[in-house]
Amino acid sequence: MNDFKQQFLGDTLTKTLFSETEASATTNGLGSTGSGFETTAHKFALAPLQKPVEFAKTHIDNTSETQARIQAAHGTTTLAFKFQHGVIVCTDSRATMGNVIASQTVKKVIEINEFLLGTMAGGAADCSFWERELGRQCKLYALRNKKRITVAGASKILRNMVLNYKGMGLSMGTMICGWDEDTTDPALFYVDSDGQRLENHLFSVGSGSTFAYSVLDAGYHYNMEVEEAKELARRAIYHATYRDAFSGGYVRMYHIKQDGWVAFDLQDVGELDIHYYPERKGVPDNQVQEEIIRPAGVSV
Amino acid sequence: MSEASRSDYDRGVNTFSPEGRFYQVEYALEAIKLGSTAIGIQTSEGAVLAAEKRVTSSLLVPSSIEKIVKIDDHVGCAVAGLTPDSRIIIEHARGQAQSHKFTYDEPILVRSVSQSVCDLALQFGESVGESKPKMSRPFGVALLIAGMDEDEKPSLYHCEPTGTLVKTRLKAIGGGQEGAQSKLEADFEKDYNENPTLEQAKHLALKVLKEVMEDKITKTNIELSFVTMGEIRGKKAPLFQYENEEALGQLIERIEREKREQDALEFGESGDRMEEDH
Amino acid sequence: MVPTEHHGDQWEPYVDNGGSTLAIAGEDFVVIGSDTRSSDGYNINTRYDPKAFKFTNNTVLATTGYRADCKSMAKSVQAQITKYAHDHGKEMSVEAMAQMLSIMMYQKRFFSYYVFPIVAGIDKEGKGAVYSYDPVGNMERVGFRAFGSSSALLQPFIDDQLGFKNRADIKPEERELHLPDLQQAKNIITDVFNGAAERDIYTGDGLQLFTITKEGGIELEELPLKRD
Repeated sequence: MNDFKQQFLGDTLTKTLFSETEASATTNGLGSTGSGFETTAHKFALAPLQKPVEFAKTHIDNTSETQARIQAAHGTTTLAFKFQHGVIVCTDSRATMGNVIASQTVKKVIEINEFLLGTMAGGAADCSFWERELGRQCKLYALRNKKRITVAGASKILRNMVLNYKGMGLSMGTMICGWDEDTTDPALFYVDSDGQRLENHLFSVGSGSTFAYSVLDAGYHYNMEVEEAKELARRAIYHATYRDAFSGGYVRMYHIKQDGWVAFDLQDVGELDIHYYPERKGVPDNQVQEEIIRPAGVSV
Repeated sequence: MSEASRSDYDRGVNTFSPEGRFYQVEYALEAIKLGSTAIGIQTSEGAVLAAEKRVTSSLLVPSSIEKIVKIDDHVGCAVAGLTPDSRIIIEHARGQAQSHKFTYDEPILVRSVSQSVCDLALQFGESVGESKPKMSRPFGVALLIAGMDEDEKPSLYHCEPTGTLVKTRLKAIGGGQEGAQSKLEADFEKDYNENPTLEQAKHLALKVLKEVMEDKITKTNIELSFVTMGEIRGKKAPLFQYENEEALGQLIERIEREKREQDALEFGESGDRMEEDH
Repeated sequence: MVPTEHHGDQWEPYVDNGGSTLAIAGEDFVVIGSDTRSSDGYNINTRYDPKAFKFTNNTVLATTGYRADCKSMAKSVQAQITKYAHDHGKEMSVEAMAQMLSIMMYQKRFFSYYVFPIVAGIDKEGKGAVYSYDPVGNMERVGFRAFGSSSALLQPFIDDQLGFKNRADIKPEERELHLPDLQQAKNIITDVFNGAAERDIYTGDGLQLFTITKEGGIELEELPLKRD
């Protein structure tokens, strides 16, 4: 891997250039039943330049911060927290490319397997590809060892995989959530493309995370019932979509229990707006402001 | 052919004999016969694998011997021969199955995963340039791969060190392969009109296995698994699974009871003699 | 969407050749339209450069963006589909093709194709399927999707007409009752492409309309668009 990475970062790259055909001929899986190809390492095509990584970083944008030609879908509010009945995982569903909303129906919760969920913040393709790869590794682990991998183990595999590409422009902020076999407590880890891996009872990730944290921190306590926990998560995502332009669409919710996760129906943020603030319904914004800011009888 | 010819041409894995034979691979086939027996039966509703474990010492933990392994949710295999060799093959097969799932978001076909095992069987010999073989000699194992595809059709494949892949409905491999195969074929036709149910196939597999085993058949010295439609997270899907201990015990009990009854019937009057003995 | 010049001394291997694609999935059909113009800046390179192609008896892939990358990617996909058919003895399903394309695109993560693909086909359950992608392979299955130089004109329109987004007059649970049948979907596509040709300089000349049904396979109609 180190040789490979050297070629990527290759200031001294002179002899070995990955040609497009070479790189794609050795790609994983797509060799199908052919003999002798790698099943664990992925190979990526590189620009035929001295510094292909610089090319990737200047031409492919994951952040909306540059004017790069290729804008990858990204942007998010995601959150997850442990409580007495498991883990609640909740996300918005908006993806932006530059200033365009690329999708309002993104699936930002990635179902790694029946007991593991990963969330998506940062580059959508980066998250979905590497968490898909993680799912494969976890399945192989389970087949080899006849038991599920722990959440701690899975999150570390993911961290180690993306660490191989550190500094190359990957953008991934994810929470790996699950419930280990034969344990009484759920597990929750944060992993990002810088190689950071943290364990905690509560995380929020993405451009809207600061807003979500405000709501979460105000309402969180461990002994919540399921409905209260779901409501807290819903409010947090809703308020993040209200203040963060890169977040929106629908609220997607999962609950991880000891016997696996369950998914709940999507909730339209527009309908939640009416649910939380019925007085806004069908009323122009300036009039709503009037009502909220200046209740009847209060003069300004 | 003469012994001289054989010894001249069996020293390397890259030399045919002048008669066109390839001795090292033929010897690998012999290695399979040194192993314990495994049986596979395919029915219309699923497929069954049964294998003998040779528990050579009472200090040996039977569960540490693995003759039947799961490759993916919908496919598994039984091995006979030099079982350590099978670990390389099975790791390869599992990798192929998961890579396929990763790339195409669908379970790999049983045929495809079996074919990939056979492709691997030919990767022995010396390294040439970039290509590095997995082994310096042919594998010394045969495999029975049982699985079920998304179309709910079960299948059974037989893979050999020669790299040959055969789709089959009945197959026995390992030490008792010859005796077991003829017994299987006879009973398959006679008792089940070539179309047993899955439960009947389990029964047949164990009955034949019992006959070729040297040790007395018990719950711990055999493995029995099957693939049929099951449930994965509330969704109907092909599922490879091991027979649970209770059901296995009942099956063995039934086979032993039937054997006793049959013996009594065959000996007829001699039954009196047996009573006298007791 | 105007192609830009070099950023300083940077190598700039990407050009946006314009054009638009639009796919609509129905209960048992899927239609996908694309124009045939290919431009470079204000220069029209050709009036007939199809963007959509049949890949299996069941799938069509339509791609806007940089034509060279579109074609290169399409060739790789076609090769893999053929190889898959030989390896596994069956035709690739639209689900498998969609996932494979996502992986293939991500394998170009650091030297990305400049493409916006849409995969359309009939899924294993017989339902219409549309998959959309970002240039590095993030995939999503959607009901309808517009890509390309006219996407900002077309997507909001179909969001309203097909998705009933933010429509107070149609309740969410009633939206399915208003989904288009095959003829309506085809009419929508021909109408919006006429509109796009009127207002987008990169869309025009000809419309290719693929219809995919379980029984009828893939049918292609070619219709004229404005050539100015």
